[in-house]
Amino acid sequence: MSLEEKFKELQIKREGAHMPHVYYGDPHEEFSLTLLETLVKNGADILEFGIPFSDPTADGPTFQRVCDRALKNGITPSKCIEGIKKLRLKGIKNPIVVTTYYNIPYAMGVDNFLDRIKKAGAQAIIVPNVPVEEADVLLTEGKKSQIQPIFQIAPTTTEDRLKKITDIASGFLYVIGVEGVTGVRESLGDSTLKLVKRVRRHTDMPLLAGFGISTRQQAAAVITAGADGAIAGSVYARIYEKNLNKPEEALPKVASLVAEIKQGCKEGYIKQN
Amino acid sequence: MPILIQLEEAFEKHYPKPEFQEKLNMLLQDYAGRPTPLYNAKNFSKLIGCKVYLKREDLVCGGSHKLNNALGQALLTKEMGKTRMITETAAGQHGLATAMAGNVCGLETEVFMGVKDIKRQASNVKRIKLLGAKVTPVDIGMGVLKDAVSDTLRKWTACSTTTHYLMGSTVGPHPYPEIVASFQSVIGKEIKEQILKKEGKLPDTIVACGSGGSNALGAFRPFINKKDVRLIFVEGGGESLEADNSAAAFKIGKPGVLHGSIMQVLQDENGQIKPSRTRAAGLNYPGRGPEISNLVNSGRAKAVFAFDNLVFEAAKVMCRTEGLIPALETAHAIAYMINNKEEFDKSEVVILNYSGRGDKDLESIMRYFNES
Repeated sequence: MSLEEKFKELQIKREGAHMPHVYYGDPHEEFSLTLLETLVKNGADILEFGIPFSDPTADGPTFQRVCDRALKNGITPSKCIEGIKKLRLKGIKNPIVVTTYYNIPYAMGVDNFLDRIKKAGAQAIIVPNVPVEEADVLLTEGKKSQIQPIFQIAPTTTEDRLKKITDIASGFLYVIGVEGVTGVRESLGDSTLKLVKRVRRHTDMPLLAGFGISTRQQAAAVITAGADGAIAGSVYARIYEKNLNKPEEALPKVASLVAEIKQGCKEGYIKQN
Repeated sequence: MPILIQLEEAFEKHYPKPEFQEKLNMLLQDYAGRPTPLYNAKNFSKLIGCKVYLKREDLVCGGSHKLNNALGQALLTKEMGKTRMITETAAGQHGLATAMAGNVCGLETEVFMGVKDIKRQASNVKRIKLLGAKVTPVDIGMGVLKDAVSDTLRKWTACSTTTHYLMGSTVGPHPYPEIVASFQSVIGKEIKEQILKKEGKLPDTIVACGSGGSNALGAFRPFINKKDVRLIFVEGGGESLEADNSAAAFKIGKPGVLHGSIMQVLQDENGQIKPSRTRAAGLNYPGRGPEISNLVNSGRAKAVFAFDNLVFEAAKVMCRTEGLIPALETAHAIAYMINNKEEFDKSEVVILNYSGRGDKDLESIMRYFNES
């Protein structure tokens, strides 16, 4: 299912989208596959599928630990791509957005990398360390492979750059509500809500808000402010990493949280309209 | 990204201004102690078999070339109306320079440092703290320079409106490599003037150590277009060139993307960045800045390396011949010359960029010789 189809479906159902973010391979592949399945079964609309990188500069402490562990346990980009295939074989139809840092596709050859994730079953890619100014290769090769590069917008993004980004973006826009890195935050500042409103004035494209979102209320708030969905990541990792020997024991908790956040996405949508 | 655009605009606006240049030159002269001498090292020359001049960056206040750039960027921070500076440091020299420049310009400073480096560069940590800067340990990853850079970048995204990231080497996203190289090129400008006075001609060769490349580029910059001047860049060989034991990115790395630029970088076959290893903390960045990468890959500069054991021996040789204790980083350039004498012709005039003094490494050096 393409991102467009997913957003259309959600519009008809009158729901906000939830995209959980998981780095694949932490603590091992088998768990990641069950985790992703659990997320889908209990409310995830789109999956953000992270390929671990040694120096994840846009990620906070939780995802740094996650990447570290996954790499120490032997995860590789090729195994991750296989993982996407396995999700498709399990019958998961939801759009999959790959997230990784630029050196991973660069080392494999950007064209080759995008081709491979496309063949495996992915729809889009987020590369947090590639700004729009440096995205030519990603855009050209993305077009060839039919992988949509997703761009991020932060509170510091100027109006000029916002226009540049909305002009070339496709799929959806990733709105980073806070200045900083990924991770759980107690409260969602005004900055997130303000930014969602500001971006909304520029474009009709779907907006997903992320960074610092970990509760039903926060998800509802960003959607009420005008976003089409909410992204949460570190909060799920924080649940299962409490017992890394038996991470599967955390799955019921993950399931209820994803359902709750999805509930927030629905509530936010109703309030918005 | 917007913050980088702002920085680029500020640099382009203020750096060429006579008022800015005047302030900077005053500080470089009266505070840092520039120009640094170009010393005709006769005893060392005799040992190598050619005429060697040492560009005495060890005499810059603080003990290394790092202050040249720190002062420049601190002034720029003031011009941008920011009140704080953050940075990362490995050998501690750049952290020290940042703390000094921060105090001179009335800016608060915070220095991020890998836990491993905090241990092995204890004396510089003490200095930095005494100057009033906050030292924040970084224990993620391997607890070394690349992790400190990553963490400083993360912190910066959360405070960039009030805070400047004072990048210490010619690495990171544009415009950093350009800014740092510009501020460091004072080294090369002085070399040119001094050597013309002393020898009546340009040098035949310039040798400099490096990882990110700031002292080397600073020395090389004014000579890049003078094709007759050989440029030799010495990186950390570590213990051996075996995987995980070296810092020699030009030997065992390949082009990649790290911390916002494309450059030569140590990495595995999947593109995961590998930690670099050398006994000289200041040569421990896994990447070579984009400009030095380009100079080497285009053949303009020659990249070589020196192994740890030869570096310690070289430090001793410098102590015994010229009575100077070099930083272990600088000792790489010395080691290369000692072990490759045949590369230097009798008639040659060679400039060794003597980037720093070895007080900070005293304990490591003593321990090495006591143990071996």
